[in-house]
Amino acid sequence: MKLIAKYNRVNIPITIATLLISSIGFYFIIRYVLIHQLDKDLRIEKEEIIHYVKEKGTLPETSNYKDQQIEFYPATNDDFKTKFLTENGLGRQDGETRSYRKLEFSVTVNGNNYKAVVKKSLQETEDIIQMILVIVFSVIVLLLLVLFVANRFLLAKLWKPFNHTLEQLKQFNLSSKNIITLRDTDINEFKELNETALFMTQKVRSDYESLKKFTENASHEIQTPLAIIKNKMELLAQSENLEESQINLIQSINHAASRLSRMNQSLLLLTKIENRQFENKERIHFSYILNRLIDNLEELPATKNIRVIKNIANDFFIEMNEPLAEILISNLLINALKHNYQNGKIEIDLSGNTLTLKNTGPAPKIKTSELFERFKKESTSNESLGLGLSIVKMICDSYGFDVSYNFKEEMHVIKIIFSH
Amino acid sequence: MKILIIEDEKALSESIAEYLSKQEYHCDVAGNFHDAVDKIEYSDYDCILLDITLPDGDGLKILEQLKADKKTDGVLIISAKNSLDDKIKGLNLGADDYLSKPFHLSEMNARIAAIIRRKNFDGSSIIQFNNLAIDTQSKTVTIENNPVELTKKEYELLLYFVSNKKRLISKEAIAEHLWGNELSSNFDFIYTHIKNLRRKLMDAGDADYIKSVYGMGYKFTGQ
Repeated sequence: MKLIAKYNRVNIPITIATLLISSIGFYFIIRYVLIHQLDKDLRIEKEEIIHYVKEKGTLPETSNYKDQQIEFYPATNDDFKTKFLTENGLGRQDGETRSYRKLEFSVTVNGNNYKAVVKKSLQETEDIIQMILVIVFSVIVLLLLVLFVANRFLLAKLWKPFNHTLEQLKQFNLSSKNIITLRDTDINEFKELNETALFMTQKVRSDYESLKKFTENASHEIQTPLAIIKNKMELLAQSENLEESQINLIQSINHAASRLSRMNQSLLLLTKIENRQFENKERIHFSYILNRLIDNLEELPATKNIRVIKNIANDFFIEMNEPLAEILISNLLINALKHNYQNGKIEIDLSGNTLTLKNTGPAPKIKTSELFERFKKESTSNESLGLGLSIVKMICDSYGFDVSYNFKEEMHVIKIIFSH
Repeated sequence: MKILIIEDEKALSESIAEYLSKQEYHCDVAGNFHDAVDKIEYSDYDCILLDITLPDGDGLKILEQLKADKKTDGVLIISAKNSLDDKIKGLNLGADDYLSKPFHLSEMNARIAAIIRRKNFDGSSIIQFNNLAIDTQSKTVTIENNPVELTKKEYELLLYFVSNKKRLISKEAIAEHLWGNELSSNFDFIYTHIKNLRRKLMDAGDADYIKSVYGMGYKFTGQ
């Protein structure tokens, strides 16, 4: 859920509830104030009537106006209590139900007791209250609307630095050199976020760099002891009169040392590609290199009686590092040769901007999507390192080429689309 | 033939010296930069094996030194870094070849032989082994004047054998020599090549020089 949605889910009901409750309170207060005002008017009227009676010694005329009526009724006792009442009565003229505020009190004229009733219409008061309520509700609706719109725009603006930071972090790539750039903001929380993000990415990068350096140095350092092992074994193998068991021992040691060495070299190559140590690009004649490497291996397919069918466009040039292009091609060719049958075939097609390599061979046993992963290998044989295809993938990735693998019509198909 | 081995790793320089001594080379060993510079000043070598990562100096400086002294010693760089930059730099500074660690002694030996062949090229480009003659100029092979038709790889294989004559060469070293690192794990391929080469040599002059050694590899020998 978005933060704004979550915020609104709480904020809007609370705002509405508060406004409603305060409107109700407002209604009662206004009503109280207005009725209080009316009662005051009624009391003045009463004073006037009493004053009139005292002065003139007679009851004043009854009056019957729309908003004020004065009536007198004979009463038996004189201690009639003064009281305010609200009543609904029929309007004199139009017969509509009207609310009145009335004041009853007793007057004594020449020893006769009368009940005086002064009524004032509540119509006006109610109109005012109604009007006020309409205004209040309009304000509530307007306020909510304004808040909603303002929140939308304001929050979008407020969150901008956050979204920018997030976008930068998403694009953060350890292996690429560019540093994340964060916008200045005067919001403390975001400032802190930016500082932390910057610090962390720098820390991660420097850790990664030193790890890479370490890996590379370690790989290089391993080569010398490996060279010693291999060379000593080679000398040992030169000795005359070795027993069969000794020969087997030498063989296994040699084998293991070679595997270690090849693995080390492949990992070193992967690291170098990752570290972008093959940055320098040039326009290379890809068709020519491809043909040359195929020719270089030419006698190999014959040993397994593998047919090589070439269909290579003559004039394909590409911006690439030449040694990397060679590694890419020879890895593909060797793969096609290794995982092939006796009397199989290899089809190499280069046209447009697509290189397609097809070869016969046993169907893959692992998920084809996993074939590009490091150390994923088809055969359980110790010979295969499972790094060849990941090197291919890594090279393609570093140039933005699209590489895909398929097993179709009993053929392994590797397709590389050279597009930037 | 005199060879200087500049290598700080003693175990490695010993192996190299032992292998080369049996090939009738005279070997000097320099374990550090200064020792190497002294030895170069003092005498001429047919080939210098140069480890460019020395603890007390940049091996590439030795190349500059040689150039400055107008020496024509052949130089084979050996390096733990399989780095293209170093390779290009080294070759530009006058080195003849570049070999990255770990390497097969037989491979190193073949490279040294090739360098010396190029350096001592006094009109003759013929390598003679018993009745077998290899013309490295025209890349042709004859046995008692009968031409032997070899494919490119078979020729390379024969040259490799002759450079390492009488030594045991592992199948792996052969595979690596012919096709580089990638295929060296697959020995099926070399079997056919060796079989074909052997047959062609036999057909041309009954020269069965290639002996297979159980479990280990092959040996090129006159006996």
